[in-house]
Amino acid sequence: MNDMNFFQFMASRSDELIRLTIQHIQITGLAVLLAVMLGVPVGIFISKNRSLRSPILGLANVFQTIPSLALFGLIIPLLGTGYVPSVFVLFLYALLPIIKNTFIGINSVEESIIDAGRGMGMTTNQILTKVEMPLALPVIMGGIRISTVINIGTATIAALIGAGGLGEMIFKGISMASDNMVLAGAVPTALLAIFMDKVLGMVETKLTPIGITSQKDKAN
Amino acid sequence: MIELVNISKSYDGKINVIEKLNLKINKGEIVVLIGESGCGKTTTLRMINRLNEPTGGTIMIDGQDYKKMSKIELRRQLGYVIQKVGLMPHLTVGKNIEMIPELKGWDKEKRKERAYELLTTVDLPPEDYYDRYPHELSGGQQQRVGVARALAVNPDIILMDEPFSALDPVTREQLQKELLRLQDELGKTIVFVTHDMDEALKIGDRIAVMKDGKIIQYDTPEEILKNPADDFVEYFVGKDRLWKSPEMLRASDIMHKSLITVGQRRTPAQVIEVMKEKDLETLFIVEKETSKPQPPIGYITRESLREQGSNESKMSDICNREFETVQHDSKMTDVLKIMDNKLVRSLPVLDDNGNLIGMITRASILNLITKAVVNEEENQ
Repeated sequence: MNDMNFFQFMASRSDELIRLTIQHIQITGLAVLLAVMLGVPVGIFISKNRSLRSPILGLANVFQTIPSLALFGLIIPLLGTGYVPSVFVLFLYALLPIIKNTFIGINSVEESIIDAGRGMGMTTNQILTKVEMPLALPVIMGGIRISTVINIGTATIAALIGAGGLGEMIFKGISMASDNMVLAGAVPTALLAIFMDKVLGMVETKLTPIGITSQKDKAN
Repeated sequence: MIELVNISKSYDGKINVIEKLNLKINKGEIVVLIGESGCGKTTTLRMINRLNEPTGGTIMIDGQDYKKMSKIELRRQLGYVIQKVGLMPHLTVGKNIEMIPELKGWDKEKRKERAYELLTTVDLPPEDYYDRYPHELSGGQQQRVGVARALAVNPDIILMDEPFSALDPVTREQLQKELLRLQDELGKTIVFVTHDMDEALKIGDRIAVMKDGKIIQYDTPEEILKNPADDFVEYFVGKDRLWKSPEMLRASDIMHKSLITVGQRRTPAQVIEVMKEKDLETLFIVEKETSKPQPPIGYITRESLREQGSNESKMSDICNREFETVQHDSKMTDVLKIMDNKLVRSLPVLDDNGNLIGMITRASILNLITKAVVNEEENQ
């Protein structure tokens, strides 16, 4: 099979591919969004609460270590198949990097800066919003970026429990022994991951305060 | 005025890091807390702005129990400067200074005006520095910004925790000088923690020497140097420190206190006897030979007596009435200048009423040098 055939195949299936790609983005996007909404507050929470730190990080680690295929299988008795359980599993996968990075980001803010802030008369909330969060933001964004990239890959497996997305094309290709079809699912997935990584990388740079960026430039 | 009353602090409920500490800091004074690491000086400072809560006792600020205010309100009334500066790296110098004014709701114009004013005060031209980021500044410049930030909402009291300890000696000295200049201009009450005795002596109006959570001695730099309360203070000050700070020495510190004078009615023969007995070259003449303090009338040297020969004249007739004197609180440097310029052998030291209280001779200065060099215990 030559390249032309692969691109011809892609072209002939373009409608389906676009639909699947959008679906793919929807599933991963929603999963990451939910993971951010829960993971960032949890990360902030454990950065302030020493005692709950290791149980929560441990729990999030557990989800990360269960093979994705198994987790998708295990969710069926609980939530059935389709969109919702898929998003839920992907959400669980996305949690750990986000919680961990939020925690690390906030924890790595230099103690003297916090001390100065407190000593000047900033409230705990003001320190969080005006000092800790802005300084932790690039690290948190890094966590979101990792979660997103991992999720775009993992989401192909979600097709197994009927979530749709580009995984559908891959599994169909495997069962029909069609390399073109497998590639037609895999290549856009990979491109999507690379693209999102770039975009989020840019967002990360954008969110990094100027004072920190130039500091890094200087260090380099 | 800040008053720490019976303050105790324990971190674990068993051992008291600070033990029943009392300290009164007057308005407009720079008080230095000094001691070895772990003596509780920083803890004491941080209790004033409630970064540490005392376990017992209370703190009064301008006669008011400081717990009547909320922590936040209290801290905004106290400037705070720390060794590591702690500037917000993501904010410009200007925004760093404006942080508390902004939280207090000052409008933009007023904030910027204040930041400009303060940057000028700490000698950083605002046009050049307002928009820079902290990491672009040297350590000394960062701490200047730190000081400017502490002054932002014009607090009466400023707490400084080893603010210059991380700086190189040249920069440190510069900032110390500027702090004193600032203090002259602004008249703040400053509580300053350091472990550096040179710094304490230079900066402090009063110094509290701390050890094991207690204040061992709370005095002016001069008193600490001259009359250390115990061996620890003496050790901490360093025995030869007084010698290194000649500007602290006064005439009364170096003079001979055992005064030998003769009355004005004595005859040359009698005076020569006294001189021989005490091995003196010069004697000062007073009106009457009593132990009551009185002003010197003049002096007579052995040489001039020898020229006179034995006769019946009185000291009041033959003594030399032209002589230099110094006040008891004259600086040693001035004393040395007089002795050098006028080639004086003995210099009478007078009290505030003009009465003779002691004598400085070349020998007494030699004594002082010997003491400093040989590093002996002081006997006064």
